[in-house]
Amino acid sequence: MRGVALSAALLLFMLGAYADSPMFTSRATLGSLNGEQIYEHICQGCHMPGGQGAVGAGSYPKLAANKKLASWAYVALTVLDGRNGMPPFGYPAARGMNSGPAHLSDAQIADVVNYVRSHFGNAYKAKVTPEEIQALPHPAAELMGPQ
Amino acid sequence: MENGEDSGSVSRRELLRMIGATAGATAMYQAMSSLGLAAESPYEGPIDLQGAPRGASVLILGAGMAGLTAAYELRNAGYKVQVLEYNARAGGRNWTLRGGDRYTELGGQTQQCEFDKDLYINPGPWRIPYHHHGMMHYTKLLKIPLEPFFQVNYNAYLHSSGAFGGKPQRFREVKADYQGHVAELLAKATRQNSLDAAVTKEDQEKLLESLRHWGALDSDYSYVSSDASSDRRGYEKKPGGGLSARPIPSKPIALHDILDSGLWSGVANGDTFDMQTALFQPAGGMGRIGEAFGKELGPLIRYNAKVTDIRQDDHGVSVTFTDVQNSGAPQSARADWCLCTIPLPILAQIPMNVGQSMASAISAVPYAAAIKAGLQFKRRFWEQDENIFGGITYTDLPIMNIGYPNTGFQSGGKGVLLGAYMWGLRAMEFTAMTPPERVQKVVDYGSQIHPQYRQEFENGVAVAWHRVPFTMGCFGQWTTATRAKHYDDLCQIDGRIALAGEHASFIGGWQEGAVTSALDAIGRLHQRAVAQGERA
Repeated sequence: MRGVALSAALLLFMLGAYADSPMFTSRATLGSLNGEQIYEHICQGCHMPGGQGAVGAGSYPKLAANKKLASWAYVALTVLDGRNGMPPFGYPAARGMNSGPAHLSDAQIADVVNYVRSHFGNAYKAKVTPEEIQALPHPAAELMGPQ
Repeated sequence: MENGEDSGSVSRRELLRMIGATAGATAMYQAMSSLGLAAESPYEGPIDLQGAPRGASVLILGAGMAGLTAAYELRNAGYKVQVLEYNARAGGRNWTLRGGDRYTELGGQTQQCEFDKDLYINPGPWRIPYHHHGMMHYTKLLKIPLEPFFQVNYNAYLHSSGAFGGKPQRFREVKADYQGHVAELLAKATRQNSLDAAVTKEDQEKLLESLRHWGALDSDYSYVSSDASSDRRGYEKKPGGGLSARPIPSKPIALHDILDSGLWSGVANGDTFDMQTALFQPAGGMGRIGEAFGKELGPLIRYNAKVTDIRQDDHGVSVTFTDVQNSGAPQSARADWCLCTIPLPILAQIPMNVGQSMASAISAVPYAAAIKAGLQFKRRFWEQDENIFGGITYTDLPIMNIGYPNTGFQSGGKGVLLGAYMWGLRAMEFTAMTPPERVQKVVDYGSQIHPQYRQEFENGVAVAWHRVPFTMGCFGQWTTATRAKHYDDLCQIDGRIALAGEHASFIGGWQEGAVTSALDAIGRLHQRAVAQGERA
């Protein structure tokens, strides 16, 4: 167990250490991220650093050395539509607000699919293109919130 | 300038657009919070489950608000009840982190809560509107003392990082000025006969009088620096006693600055049905409810039980589970009926023989990202320096909300506030950080509003709901379209299995949704059980 006891002294140290770490916290900057950045800022929230996944009452699939990643379309459709509670990222670019579904472009989805398929012990050589992502069914705008 | 050059040149179309913006703010807030519909709770008083067949049994999966409510009522109705719960405590998302608690999130990072005694944070639900009648009923039944929850504090802030030099504005001032300027514009339009087609002459007189009253306008229907406007927005120098008594009125913020800052979007935050006074919080933390239910139900709850398989046949339901603490051989439990309250992202992964329509519904609902952070400070500077006693500050910074404790006012010693409550994209990004990084960022952003953070901060915890091992997300995010397609299928009883939880309600993300969905589901299960009689 790694106990995290965050003291004021540690915090001061960290303020320095993280002062330069990039933040994207708006739709405006989200659009400029590449596959690696998308993984580190969004995907690893659940799939964990290094694609290690996690197990609790349920589990987040481990992406590291995962044979299901052999199918780029499986990965791409999962990112587009979500799966079993995972939020979808394939909705059309939305209404300028920071809530609701987050939108990734076809090029970004291609990039993040290529990233996970070529990292974490995965070595699939073929790269998927934005055009191939575009050809897949995307969730329709009317499925977007609010309820 | 307080009378604003801008106001003189506003066209009727702009005026109407601006008035529409008030409704828009409400709509936007609802969309932002994703907490949805202003629907009255369907709770109609204690459930009547008379005539339970002798010996009939129900297995309940999950000891959150839905499972606990169901277990309590079914037990009282004479059913043989067993509850399987993954955690070592009752409550589920009804949960309070206190000093001394440890919490390990998915991925293995453990946070040690170092708050002082009696200080706490509610990582999940933190407020109960008075019209959540089911929650009010059970808190009363369990003798949980309630405290007021200040949804609106006129002295808390609305903050836009790009406006007013980043200086937070008092809610009281923004609300008074927005309202005053809008009233002035509408009065002007009325007096220029622009509304003749829409409002009769007689009503225009009444409208003008009401606008003067509502907007604190002067005798000329202008919103200016005056005793009347200061009585709403506060004085430059407050009225007092004796020789220093004479008040000095304050100057309103110009309409343009309010519109430009976007702060108008926070004005209606307490106007949505779920946020209207009165709201309450359990004394000592929201988790008191789950704890009290747990005590009440005692040995009926089997803790540390991870469900791995749910299988029904013609006569009952068998559930396989493992003990999370002593990973021994799988065990099983069986009953005539099963009420399953397991959150959908987890349930979607558990083998269960239900029909395709329910199975599809279970996998169709994405779960929302959300973060809450609790920060302990050496002193209650928000009270001591800024006269903020409870309530919420809203900001466009990633932290989105700062919630001040609604209890322990003016107590000496340390204080814990909610340093962030965020959702959407920003919550996703904070989820991807380590807990110490999250806390650090929350302190960093919050210090833009309260510079005292730098001096006074001691320690903090940050709960990211997608990393919570027992839910894997904050709440089910339905849309109109997914509800139309899947909601009924999720709620229909499939053979001997019924689902319940906030995800099976129209009060999503609220505990009342869990309670009312549980009562609805056990009412229907009871009907089936009675119909089958003792054959069950």
